[in-house]
Amino acid sequence: MPIKLDSLSHTYQEGSPFQATALHDVDLTIEDHDLLALIGHTGSGKSTLAQHLNGLLKPTSGRVLLDGQDINDKSTDRRALRFAVGLVFQYPEHQLFEETVRKDIGFGPRNMGLEEGEIDARVREAMDKTGLPYDEIAEKSPFELSGGQMRRVALAGVLAMRPRILVLDEPTAGLDPRARDFLLEDIRRLHKGGTSVVMISHSMDDVASLATRVAVLEKGRLVMQGSPGEIFSRVEELGRMGLDVPQASKLRHLLFDAGIELPECYRLEELADSLADYLKGGAEHAG
Amino acid sequence: MNQAHISLQNLCYAYEEGAPLAVDSVSLDIRRGEFVALLGHNGSGKSTIAKLLNGLYTPTSGKVLVSGMDTADDRNTWEIRKRCGMVFQNPDNQIVATVVREDVAFGLENLGVPSERMPRLIDDALRAVNMLEFADRAPHLLSGGQKQRIAIAGILAMQPEAIVLDEATAMLDPSGRQEVLETALRLNRERGVTVVWITHFMEEAARASRVAVMYKGSLVMDGSPREIFSQVEKIRRFRLDVPPMTRLSAMLRERGVGLRADILTAEEMLEEVRALAHKA
Repeated sequence: MPIKLDSLSHTYQEGSPFQATALHDVDLTIEDHDLLALIGHTGSGKSTLAQHLNGLLKPTSGRVLLDGQDINDKSTDRRALRFAVGLVFQYPEHQLFEETVRKDIGFGPRNMGLEEGEIDARVREAMDKTGLPYDEIAEKSPFELSGGQMRRVALAGVLAMRPRILVLDEPTAGLDPRARDFLLEDIRRLHKGGTSVVMISHSMDDVASLATRVAVLEKGRLVMQGSPGEIFSRVEELGRMGLDVPQASKLRHLLFDAGIELPECYRLEELADSLADYLKGGAEHAG
Repeated sequence: MNQAHISLQNLCYAYEEGAPLAVDSVSLDIRRGEFVALLGHNGSGKSTIAKLLNGLYTPTSGKVLVSGMDTADDRNTWEIRKRCGMVFQNPDNQIVATVVREDVAFGLENLGVPSERMPRLIDDALRAVNMLEFADRAPHLLSGGQKQRIAIAGILAMQPEAIVLDEATAMLDPSGRQEVLETALRLNRERGVTVVWITHFMEEAARASRVAVMYKGSLVMDGSPREIFSQVEKIRRFRLDVPPMTRLSAMLRERGVGLRADILTAEEMLEEVRALAHKA
């Protein structure tokens, strides 16, 4: 179920003195099985773009096509669309509200009009996918849980609607390193299980560890897209946009400037391999 | 003067009577002019400690002394708040006025500073965070990093001796994080302000003069960044991580490359690699 953005533009408060164009003519396709990272400076239009993917915002011009169908067309079943594209906002745990974890995760499926038995099955499935122990916490208040667990309950609430495409806005912000690793692992597993994922992130190391493709927004325009390797090799261009690169890319770039040339890589493990080779066989390479 | 600037003495705190201790028997002396990074997993007690440092919470047992003043004594509250300012995580919850200059004035007004003295204090504070040119702007139109610098200026205007920043960079983008961290480092270096920097970013902690680690309410590690981060296994047991370059150095040692265990930054790694390449 690919999503295609076709010359998508969005202007906030059009016709008012506060008119601001957030997206200009964006053409982007999210293919099945993509794990697309959307990166860009604050205010570059990432969150605006994300909110078009399930129809929360309507384009000022251009179209959003899901499986070839315009999602803003009057004939489109918008309820079905919301279930097909699950959107997880920044700090989603701020939106938890039910008395128990089970009820909170079941809220979406209940809204879909499913039977109690099916709701319970979906809650169990979503908790399983996010590594939350049902027997231990299903009847607890979500507010008794740790920050990392609350974040996963919020994610499970979206997964319980069995979206085909999952859109995550800064999923690891504010989490401690362990909770971040767990959440990244959940996302990796969901993606392997066949869910397409769009992830907005400021953490280039998270992007390097997960993404299959990277799209870069600057001032509302799509300025680059490609594999993580292609994107992160453009260290200087990204720097001019105020963007970071993964730590491995940064070091590789520093080494290159110092006359030490290593093969293209953007993950620490890969860099460790090539750097170890270089240093061990160093005599003949060292200049 | 040998006295600690901020002294935690067997400090305990429970949110309700009989509830488990959120902070459990923590003793820590912070000296004047130190830049202490306070690390710990979500729920480890870091933010609770932050709120105990300037008397927002009072200890269940044990003591917090700021410049020798007990935070549990109500008579000290204003003096302590003036000397020890706090910056919180969400920049949007800390702005109170519609013009930057007035926002910075808010704390001074509360302290009853005569209005003729205010402009100088405000300008000086805004200059110190590189935001003077924004003095007459509307704060809600600024970036997250700029808003946090305004929050710091509001504290600086009161000429504090210490600033506690509780995950002040968590909601910012990389350039905003950089701005706020550099601002805090500069105030510490140039003005001798004591800084307590709470964070989940290990590479930020690597810039501190001292790192303290909390785990389930207890203080479990305390030392220089090099001492702390060279103990990769231990720090992972406390649900934390080490900075990326320290991790890389551990990976290289696993692959049989003999290099230092206490590398913290990409620049240090570069030096180390060059030295090894020369030897080879």
